[in-house]
Amino acid sequence: MRISYEWLSDFVDLKDVTPKEAAAVLTRLGLEVENLTVVDLSEIIVGKVLEQIPHPKSRNPLWVHQVDLGDHVEQIIAGAPNAVPGSLVPVAMPGTAVPNGKIVRDMNIAGYQARGMLCSADELLLGDDHSGILILDSGKPGDSLETVIPSQVTMDIEVTSNRPDCMGHLGVARELAAGLDRPMKVDFMPGFTGTANPPGRDLVKVSIDEPGLCARYIGGVIKGVKIGASPEWLQRRLRACGVRPINNIVDITNYVLLEYAQPLHAFDLAKLDPPEIHVRHAHTGEKLLCLDGVERQLTPEMLVIADSHKPVAIAGVIGGEETAVSDATTGILLEAATFNGSSVRQTARELGLRTEASSRFDKGLPAELALAGARRAASLIAELAGGSVHREWADVYPLPQEPVRVRFRPGLIDEMLGLHVPLEEAESILKRLNFHVRPLEDGEWDVLPPVFRLDVTIPQDLVEEVGRVYGYDRVPSTLPGHRRDKWIPAVPSIGRRLDAAREVLAGAGFTETWNPALVSGRLLESLRVDAHAMRVSNALSDDMDTLRTSLLPSLVGVVGLNRDRGRQEVCVYEIASAFLAPVGDKSAQPHEPMRLGVLATAGASADAARTSFYAMKSVLDAAFAALGAPPCTYQRGAQELFHPGRCAAVVLDGRLLGYMGELHPAVASTFKIEGRLVALEIDLEPVLAASRTSRAQPLPRFPAVERDLAVVVEDHVAAGALLATIKEVGGEYLEQARAFDEYHGPQVPEGQKSIAFTLTFRSPERTLTDAEVDRVMTEIKIGLQKRHKARFRE
Amino acid sequence: MSDQSGLVKEALGAIAKARTEGELETITLDYLGRKSGQITKLLTGIGQLAPDQRAALGQSANEAKRAIEAALASRREELEGARLADIAETEAIDVTFPGPPLGRGHINVLTQMQRQIETVLESLGYRVELGPEVETEWYNFEALNISAGHPARENWDSFYFTPQLLLRAHTSPVQIRAMQRSKEPPIYIITPGRCYRRDAPEATRLPYFSQVEGLAVDRGLTVGDMKGTLLYMIQSLYGNERKVRVRPSYFPFTEPSFEFDITCGICGGAGCKSCRHKGWLEVGGCGMVHPQVLRNGGIDPDQWNGYAWGFGIERMAMLKHNVDDIRLFYESDLRFLEQF
Repeated sequence: MRISYEWLSDFVDLKDVTPKEAAAVLTRLGLEVENLTVVDLSEIIVGKVLEQIPHPKSRNPLWVHQVDLGDHVEQIIAGAPNAVPGSLVPVAMPGTAVPNGKIVRDMNIAGYQARGMLCSADELLLGDDHSGILILDSGKPGDSLETVIPSQVTMDIEVTSNRPDCMGHLGVARELAAGLDRPMKVDFMPGFTGTANPPGRDLVKVSIDEPGLCARYIGGVIKGVKIGASPEWLQRRLRACGVRPINNIVDITNYVLLEYAQPLHAFDLAKLDPPEIHVRHAHTGEKLLCLDGVERQLTPEMLVIADSHKPVAIAGVIGGEETAVSDATTGILLEAATFNGSSVRQTARELGLRTEASSRFDKGLPAELALAGARRAASLIAELAGGSVHREWADVYPLPQEPVRVRFRPGLIDEMLGLHVPLEEAESILKRLNFHVRPLEDGEWDVLPPVFRLDVTIPQDLVEEVGRVYGYDRVPSTLPGHRRDKWIPAVPSIGRRLDAAREVLAGAGFTETWNPALVSGRLLESLRVDAHAMRVSNALSDDMDTLRTSLLPSLVGVVGLNRDRGRQEVCVYEIASAFLAPVGDKSAQPHEPMRLGVLATAGASADAARTSFYAMKSVLDAAFAALGAPPCTYQRGAQELFHPGRCAAVVLDGRLLGYMGELHPAVASTFKIEGRLVALEIDLEPVLAASRTSRAQPLPRFPAVERDLAVVVEDHVAAGALLATIKEVGGEYLEQARAFDEYHGPQVPEGQKSIAFTLTFRSPERTLTDAEVDRVMTEIKIGLQKRHKARFRE
Repeated sequence: MSDQSGLVKEALGAIAKARTEGELETITLDYLGRKSGQITKLLTGIGQLAPDQRAALGQSANEAKRAIEAALASRREELEGARLADIAETEAIDVTFPGPPLGRGHINVLTQMQRQIETVLESLGYRVELGPEVETEWYNFEALNISAGHPARENWDSFYFTPQLLLRAHTSPVQIRAMQRSKEPPIYIITPGRCYRRDAPEATRLPYFSQVEGLAVDRGLTVGDMKGTLLYMIQSLYGNERKVRVRPSYFPFTEPSFEFDITCGICGGAGCKSCRHKGWLEVGGCGMVHPQVLRNGGIDPDQWNGYAWGFGIERMAMLKHNVDDIRLFYESDLRFLEQF
């Protein structure tokens, strides 16, 4: 919302208040001033055009002017033809900075000396009109432009959606007055309903078919108006607020909208057929050529204003071209209505058209405002466009605005703010904000908010009103402190517990990424991991239209991005939720398992990837140990994203956590990545659930005996199976068994392999003898022989 | 006797000439070895001697032994001293030569930021609560006083799966869930997590981002308590010179509502280019929990009240680490992530 500082001073005395101070006051009150623009016109001077000829040599259309600057005449060249002889124009002399930032210089254009510049409204930041030179209504050549147009200050204010009353200068002025503790010079202008006969309601018939969507409709008839340009001061204020002047009637409706925040519309009375107003839903197939020249298709959900034949406006959004005020207009119907906020919002959204009117209506305006706005506009029209305003307007008001009363215990102010606000001061603040306060016998207050404040309904709202004017900066900073009979124990968060795994991963060279959970649904389909995918119904784009069911596609994407940017080796991981829609019901909340996904580039060869596979296993084992979880086991597994021969199911206490292995070659090629990738993805919640605090074990008092064992078996026999047998047969003295080498080669027969184990034996009670260990080793060998047809190398 | 003094002399001579620990070792064995040391051998026939001779011989042999041992020890010390005196030259390395690359991985900057925020608030007694990212309309909007058709609702333009199911636009639903779970205050929680809004990606915002919200519900909480909590948090994260201000604003779920700003880290509040001459940087929103929201969480607003706040983790990290484009966080370019 753009606010003209000059306009505010109509309502509140701004003497001795700088715009910067006013902006600070408003921001402190909750109307954040985002920009303060000062347009200094003191250096620009008024000139009178004496002569204008087209530039005889220039290829571009240029005009050479002789301009009277009071004490001398200068030759000035301009690109617009509208500064005809006799025009008063703003002139910037060489060396002057024009408000838009440009510095004027001496110029010579095709042999013609030019000293100075004729300015457009745009260059002076007085509006966005850059089509021609700004022509002034009055002024004396040689005087500062400030004598004609005061230097302007505008403020861009962010108005929160609960305060539509501040979407007009009057509302902002009220806030400023309360904040500065100065009285309002005027509030709503004195009532004015006109005097001419017959009564306006006899000249126009209004009916509301949808009272739920239109709480009030006022139609005032004004006849004998003379359409023309608005006075300069009014145009200037509109321009300062970014609104283009059109003609006096339209300008006045816009002016009152910017002043009272009440949108208005003027119909050409003669174009209404007959002069009747129906507020109804649009009929299927109806269209309206709108004021902006666009013909819009209307739908039955949209509320329209219609005469007996056709829609003439889209309620609260935009008027129709056909019934618009034109130069030929003499009689108008002035509309001031109150439309339902969400209905207007929906219509505006549907049409993709947000207007000054709709952006006010959609916040929900008080119906009482309509009459005040209509009266203000009528009096301005009578003053500036002539005509006679007919008395007794049509005013259909099916949903009268109910007064709101709040019963308020003033002690709540101190309790909520944590600061003592003297009662008199609180009462005075509420009164400054136009609230009526009536203290009751029991010490509570009966508070009546002003009609334009629909946002105040509960006691807490009143605390806010007092607090923001009193000043929240005066509230001392404290911390809650109470006697407690219930304590909240501190427990480490899941995120913090997982930091142990993050540290292991960082130590192993993996960098943590945060990737978007919204990914391409098509990608998930092509990777065949879309079975439980949930698709967003209103996605911004199809590369983020679906919730990921796995972290791995994101991580592969990260490899792709970093490869494109020149990084070959990429080791990354992510801890985040995957989203799995329940089978058969995509309208229920999905399962959101928290997962760990890890991915590493693994060279180009099968051997390199094999090495990386085992390296990643070590990382996962270390992460489990760091989390305090028991070690997981690995079984041959299969999953869509993984290489069918190089995929392990990761199992903890008999429960499947996820998979690790080399990614399927098709996955890498989907992402156009060369070389192999090794990855894992597991659920973390069961791991944390299995995590235990470490318990100290007594240190061994007797030495251990270590033996190596090289076991030759068929290729298909898994090391894990051999280990299981070793552990089972090894008995109580076998402390640890670990496979450390796998060998294929000339020393073992074709189709077989040799796996080397280190076995550690120890007794807690004594030093074991070689003979005892030999005996156990023999049993282990027999067990391996029987179950796995193993042979042994020395 | 002369045997011994000769031996001692010979031994001391050898010790004086010894250049290495190994030579000293050999000398030790030669003279003092348990089986064939020359001093030891002197004592082999001692058993046959008369008692008085025996004593005399024993004593003189012991003296010889001590003399040799003392000489050995002092020569050892000399040699060690000489060696240590030399290592500055003999073992010198080029300390400016770089170490091998470590291949260190990095914990994500957003994780680090989130953890710092958690640490500060946990020190005030807040606990971390988590909740689902796919939420129901009720938890995301209705329970927070943002009914359908509410004018403020467009501030939370959301991604929908069905009319009743959407990606949460804030972590506030976790507050409602936590209140429902707790049955009875006090409640002091923070709710970090990912959120989603239907905004096209640009340098200052993304359709996906992360928040930390806080909620305190207790008896007699005040705006002052809220201000103090935010001030403690901001100064813990950004340093003691930062100031916090709360500026009235509007959210349907708090009353009164505020934006909270911190003084610009570059100009200290005086106003500069980076804060657009305001002196303040907007960080997040906060306010006293609306009584209806407490009711929706199953808490009696006549007994209890509360305050809440929320802000983006990315925004906090951008302020802390001088990051000017929020998209960098989710792009996962290692050259960016490895800076933290």
